[in-house]
Amino acid sequence: MARLQIRGILRALCRCEVEFIVVGGISAVLQGAPINTFDVDIVHSREPGNVQRLLTALKELEAIYRFQPERRLTPAASHLLSNGHQLLMTKFGPLDILGEIGRSRSFEDLLPLSYLWDPEPGISARILRLETHIRIKEEVGEPKDMAVLHVLRRTLEERQAAI
Amino acid sequence: MHPASLGNEYSEDGVDLTLIRWMLSLTPSERLQAVEDHANEIMELRETIPAAWF
Repeated sequence: MARLQIRGILRALCRCEVEFIVVGGISAVLQGAPINTFDVDIVHSREPGNVQRLLTALKELEAIYRFQPERRLTPAASHLLSNGHQLLMTKFGPLDILGEIGRSRSFEDLLPLSYLWDPEPGISARILRLETHIRIKEEVGEPKDMAVLHVLRRTLEERQAAI
Repeated sequence: MHPASLGNEYSEDGVDLTLIRWMLSLTPSERLQAVEDHANEIMELRETIPAAWF
C-alpha cells in the first residue's frame, strides 16, 4: 500500500488549481483533534472547468478506485459532476472525493464555513471549520461518528478556552 | 471523572484532554506530520503481523 503523503495529494490538487475543501479527519486534525485517519477527504467544486482540472490532478496522482483495485478503474468527468463519493487510491495514499456531505452540502455551501490554510509554497487549501465538521456529524448521526464526536466537541471547547 | 484521573485529564465523557492540549500546542503543519507519521507507522506495523494471526 502507498505511504500516506498528505502534502503530496494537496500539492497536486493545488498545482492543477483545483477548487476544493479539506473535510473529514484531516480537517479536524489540522484544528487540533487528536484522532487517527488514514485518508484525505475533499469536497470539490462540481463546476465543469474545475472537474477537468481535478481529472488532470487525479491522473498525476495515478488515482484508481479502491473498489476492485486490480481492475484499475479511474473516475470519469461524469462521476465527478455527480454528488456521489469517489473512494480512490493514489500514489500518495487514499483520497475520497465527495460531491456532497451531510444533508446535501456542496462545495458552495461549505465555502463560507471554511478557513484558508497556506502553510508552505505549493499548498493553499480551504479547511472545513471544526464547528461545521461537528454539526455535520451530528446531522448524519452515524454510529461510527458517535465516539469521535466526543473528542471533536472537547477539542472545540479547549480551542475556545485557549483564545 | 475518570477513575484513574489525577486532575482534569479527562472530560466527563471520558475524552483524554491531555492529548487535545498536546495537539493544540503544535502548529497545523506539525499536526499534519504527526497524523501522517502515525498512519504510516501503523501500516508498517501491520505488515509485521504474522500471517498465522489471520
